[in-house]
Amino acid sequence: MTKVVEISPTTRHEGHSKLTLKVNDQGIVERGDWLSITPVRGIEKLAIGKTMDQVPKIASRVCGVCPIAHTLAGIEAMEASIGCEIPKDAKLLRVILHAANRLHSHALHNILILPDFYVPGTETKFNPFAKEQPFRSVAVRIFRIREIAQTIGAVAGGEAIHPSNPRVGGMYRNVSPKAKQKMADLAKEGLVLAHEQMEFMLEVIRNMQNREFTEVAGKQIPIPRTLGYHNQGVMATAPMYGSSSLDEKPMWDITRWRETRPWDWYMGEVTIDLEDPSYPIGGTTKAGTKANPRIEACNTVPTYDGQPVEVGPRARLANFKNFTEKGTFAQHIARQMEYPDCCYTILKCLDNLDTSGKVLADHIPQGDGSMGWAANEAPRGTDVHLTRVKDGRVLYYEMLVPTTWNLPTCSRGLTGAPWQIAEMVIRAYDPCVSCATHMIVTDEKNRMVAQKLIQW
Amino acid sequence: METPYSRIVVAGCGNPLYADDGFGPAVVESLKGFELPENVTVVDAGLGGPHFVFTLLNPESTKTLIIVDIADFGGEPGELRWLAVEELPVGSYRDIHSWDLTEPLQYIKDDIRVRVLACQKKYVSAPEMVIGITDEVQRAIPDAVSEILKEIWMDYGTA
Repeated sequence: MTKVVEISPTTRHEGHSKLTLKVNDQGIVERGDWLSITPVRGIEKLAIGKTMDQVPKIASRVCGVCPIAHTLAGIEAMEASIGCEIPKDAKLLRVILHAANRLHSHALHNILILPDFYVPGTETKFNPFAKEQPFRSVAVRIFRIREIAQTIGAVAGGEAIHPSNPRVGGMYRNVSPKAKQKMADLAKEGLVLAHEQMEFMLEVIRNMQNREFTEVAGKQIPIPRTLGYHNQGVMATAPMYGSSSLDEKPMWDITRWRETRPWDWYMGEVTIDLEDPSYPIGGTTKAGTKANPRIEACNTVPTYDGQPVEVGPRARLANFKNFTEKGTFAQHIARQMEYPDCCYTILKCLDNLDTSGKVLADHIPQGDGSMGWAANEAPRGTDVHLTRVKDGRVLYYEMLVPTTWNLPTCSRGLTGAPWQIAEMVIRAYDPCVSCATHMIVTDEKNRMVAQKLIQW
Repeated sequence: METPYSRIVVAGCGNPLYADDGFGPAVVESLKGFELPENVTVVDAGLGGPHFVFTLLNPESTKTLIIVDIADFGGEPGELRWLAVEELPVGSYRDIHSWDLTEPLQYIKDDIRVRVLACQKKYVSAPEMVIGITDEVQRAIPDAVSEILKEIWMDYGTA
């Protein structure tokens, strides 16, 4: 008999989301809904009427994890709308900044997932904050990788967290030869650590993949071989940086995108009738509680060719490097495999960077209202920003961030998982939920009003 | 050249999309107009306080961390107050991974001098987005800059 269990909120990721799961007598998920419950931000409305220089800065404040990806996608969307091509050296600095951002973000994600994993050859789970070995040396390596990445980001982008150097038309300034040398020295040190961290994580992940059971709340939970599998497609625009509508051959097609309301996609009202007070961090939702994902979801459901798609490291490797593994562990593995590429990319860009080259376009058009988009391959996946700029002001703005794509896709991937490890499945997407929260329309009684396809 | 792990790190925390919560980043913006000692980093830490800022501190080189943020300590809107780590209520800083900042601050305070410059908030709009700091809190920005400059120069033994 089907029962409903709910984990709310989910933990160890950015923002607030929840899982509403219909499970069978064995506790296996038959249908899972993963939805954002982060309060709605309304960034798209806030952007209207602001200048094209203001909006990417505003967009970068939507969340605390991906400010760099949003800044770059926002700026390049503006440039795509106004038809502004930037100098080569400006692009190189942006790619350096982007790769540094991915490097530190992947390292942060390792901290968040490690408590799910075992030290190979033992029955001990990782505690990345413990002072004892082997935990301490892992934490120190992650710390140093992030420090290196953030320093490179600070030099190329002007600031480590909210980069001030990128601007519509290019960059505010080039870097000095000394700064270029410093970035190269750091990237070389980072490359050694990136290889070490990748090898370490691959061993940890493969070890977990070969286990029959994992322990959750004192119970042994079986790990299916097909954990996180789904039949949806994958979407990625580039192995590293991204694409925009300015490209000769854009790698994303606006006509293949549609966005639907959560009402059309998530399950309707259900009553929780399975609870487990021993589940980590406060237990699951109490039995008897009503849940209504189609009303509660603050995310929209984007589709590509009519279906939700997966974005992120596995999608990038599948599209560009013939990576064929599927599911939760494949996502983890693909992410680790991107570590060295971040450092190689930085070094390659530095080789080509002329520190005396110009970094700002000679002419910055003010826009005629044409649609422009840019897809930045953020650490978590394809981050598409779309805009129309006229006379320097934003008429329309939309952020289609990675977790927006992944929320419905992952929901499909939950089928077949024991409910107690459903959070492991969603963590593999490295969710960034706040950015994925968009507008819903409700009336004064909190009832959904608009249910139809969004028009753009 | 500026590096994130300087002797003194000034971190302006907050989100300009939530009215007075933009105080920390606004103070950082003002501070950037000053010529500061080479080994001082002023960083707009935004909303990612714990997970970003702690990788910007290197105990071997960083001696002081100054956090600038709004707070609700029962003062008049715009009132400034230096708070010790011990005065921060548990859970008063919480980042997006639900990590509490007050606890790690307790860990590092013996190795790194931690100073928190708090400004009494008037209005924080979260979760609604409202751009613009209230007049009372806006007027506190020059005084906050002055307080931090004094703190920086004191650290250098010149005040």
